[in-house]
Amino acid sequence: MPATPITPLIATLWLLNVIIDTVGQLAFKAAAGDQAAGDGLARWIYMARRPWIWIGIGSYVIEFLIWIAFLSLLPLSEAILLGSINIVAIMVAGHFLFGEKLTRLRLSGILLVTLGVAIVGAVG
Amino acid sequence: MRRGTFYLLGFLLLMLFDSIGAISFKYAGDHALPVEASIAWLLRIFTHPWVYGAVIGYIGAFFTWMTLLKHAPIGPAFAASHLEVVSVMLLSVWLFDEHLTLGRVLGALAILAGIVCLGFAESNEHVPEPEEVDSATRR
Repeated sequence: MPATPITPLIATLWLLNVIIDTVGQLAFKAAAGDQAAGDGLARWIYMARRPWIWIGIGSYVIEFLIWIAFLSLLPLSEAILLGSINIVAIMVAGHFLFGEKLTRLRLSGILLVTLGVAIVGAVG
Repeated sequence: MRRGTFYLLGFLLLMLFDSIGAISFKYAGDHALPVEASIAWLLRIFTHPWVYGAVIGYIGAFFTWMTLLKHAPIGPAFAASHLEVVSVMLLSVWLFDEHLTLGRVLGALAILAGIVCLGFAESNEHVPEPEEVDSATRR
């Protein structure tokens, strides 16, 4: 399959996927990282009574449909690489919301992933 | 279970579920054209059997992920979970007759190098437990 040109529809689906995935992952971290949640079944009940896990699941459902639409328009090998930009978005968001450090090594990782996605986006 | 073994098994399981999910998604997506924001499109999606393979991948990955996240910081954990890009890219050459174009190979190498950096960033971040410090300073 030859490289597919990135149409406005593909670009929109890609952007929506990054945004919704980031929201969902941050919500899951807020749910899973709560130290007051306890262990075992009690932990799951505690999480189910708070909004975070449901925001995460809701994001998954929406992302599910967006990702199917995205994949119907692109070869999987290209789509999965373009989707890697989510790593960058989530690390940057984790830095601002949870104070996770952006060390020099993490910044290098972020730049390399971004470069890789840019190459795939430009060349296909 | 030792922490290293816990992470390794967790991430391998996550990679397996993610790969099953991605492959199923592509099979489902191939039957999703043309893309429309309509009930008919949703019905077409949800009556296709491969969608349920994707659901199984999602649910399996979800429970693996929530167990891992309890101990791992989100950024590096998310990065390690993305090693699936390589397995999925190779599987799609085999299953969908896709080509490894130069752009994709170079892009995948840069992404992989980035993921490795993120993994090392994580192991450098290791903070010694109080007992370790205690026994190291005591003579």
